[in-house]
Amino acid sequence: MEPLKILVIDDEQVICSGCRMILSELGHTIDTCNTCKEGLDAIRKLDYHLVLLDIKLPDSDGMEILKIVRVEKSEIHIIVMTGYATIRSVVSAMRLGAFDYLPKPFTDEELIASVEKAMKNVAGSGKVQ
Amino acid sequence: MHASTHVDEILEVVVWKTTELLDAKGAIFRILNLKTEQLELYAAHGLGKKYLEKGPVSSYRIITELCRQNEIITIDDIMGDPRVQYPQEAWEEGVRMILDIPLSLGNHVVGILRVYFSEHREISKDKKDFMVAVAQQCSCAIDKARLIEKQQSLYDKLVLHTAKMSAIGRMAAGIAHEINNPLAGILLYSSNMIKKVPEDGPLKEGLDIIVHETIRCRGIIQELLDFSREREPKKTLANINDIIGKALNILENEFRIDHISVETDLSEEMVSSFLDENQMEQVFVNLLINAVEAMDEGGRIRIKTRLGSEGKCMKIEFEDTGCGLPKEALDRIFEPFFTTKAKGTGLGLAVSYGIVQNHMGDIRAYSEPGKGASFIVEIPLIQQPPSEETKGFENGAP
Repeated sequence: MEPLKILVIDDEQVICSGCRMILSELGHTIDTCNTCKEGLDAIRKLDYHLVLLDIKLPDSDGMEILKIVRVEKSEIHIIVMTGYATIRSVVSAMRLGAFDYLPKPFTDEELIASVEKAMKNVAGSGKVQ
Repeated sequence: MHASTHVDEILEVVVWKTTELLDAKGAIFRILNLKTEQLELYAAHGLGKKYLEKGPVSSYRIITELCRQNEIITIDDIMGDPRVQYPQEAWEEGVRMILDIPLSLGNHVVGILRVYFSEHREISKDKKDFMVAVAQQCSCAIDKARLIEKQQSLYDKLVLHTAKMSAIGRMAAGIAHEINNPLAGILLYSSNMIKKVPEDGPLKEGLDIIVHETIRCRGIIQELLDFSREREPKKTLANINDIIGKALNILENEFRIDHISVETDLSEEMVSSFLDENQMEQVFVNLLINAVEAMDEGGRIRIKTRLGSEGKCMKIEFEDTGCGLPKEALDRIFEPFFTTKAKGTGLGLAVSYGIVQNHMGDIRAYSEPGKGASFIVEIPLIQQPPSEETKGFENGAP
């Protein structure tokens, strides 16, 4: 399967770096940013296949990114990450078009499994360029 | 007298009105709890500070003797009567005659209404009868006020407890978020590094421990979140008796190993109700584990179910013959991280409390050291399916 262009948006730099290390070893291209604003700028400027998104960000609610992506770039797959998973928040994220949900803390295998699931879906929809 | 709901106010009124009606110099009112031998209540009117500050003007012996005789006693000889504790001070205060009126409350508490006069006088039988009537009315009013005060204090305690648990719940949710983030970093790196170190060696062993312990923390935090009521119950029709059966099956081995006998009295009235079967099973397993751990070999657990509140709720009672709990522990038993066990996390009952609250129910604990413990869970009986909106969330998908 083709490698993906992935953006990680999390205010915790450690998580950004961890995801970068693990996913880049699998051949994916990883960018990271720590705020909602930076994330949206990057999404608008570059074509990502996948966004790993923390829904609790310092400058704004990550749900805002979900809403905007759904309208502006609906082809992007979003995996939501949060340290505070409730059924309600999962349902809200899914309703806003999130592809998958990763409750923190997660292992590298859980991360890889979720990304691979997204990869198959991206490949299936023929959007890897 | 009966209009007031505060004992102090009643006593103030009694001493004031008695003084006024008998045209006396003043009066004091005192109640002793004979069980504890402690002064419980006190009120005075018309007497000087100097005299009152001298000390208790009616001793334990005087009051019990008065109540034993159960009649009004007149003291004419202030300086010579042994019933007067401080004759000199009383004389200087201008007291020349005293009337002691006994007052009984329940079985243990007795009191005295002592009326002081500035001169000797004949007190008519009518007036004495009147004073006895006042004393009787006073007992009733105090009883009523005490009952109201007790109810109020129970209510205040309940409100405080609910507020405390809700604050702890919010705090738990906040902590969970803050801790899950750093844990995510630890777990992500350690679970990845473990694959990059030699299969046999200290690095692998150390990383294994880090991964294992981090996953353990994740479990504890998930339990905290369960307690903080953020996990909505997934309600389906289920019979509480069947859920108890499942919980008992899970712990069958424990009972056998520890020679614990389990007696069940499960009412056939228990019809199916909308509830989260898994969550309720978790509550019952938690209660049973606690019971097992509180007992030595050969203990006994009794489980009883019945309908309450005219069939509107289900009552489930767990009773054990374990070591029991002191009152201090009982007050805090549902708080997260509170534990009486050497190796407990203190989350089992906190999570159970959260689950029962989520079912709009109630869980209460009763115990005394050495006398076992009983836990009563009350869950409303709901035979209609939950609303559509709730169902959407419960299915976990849009």
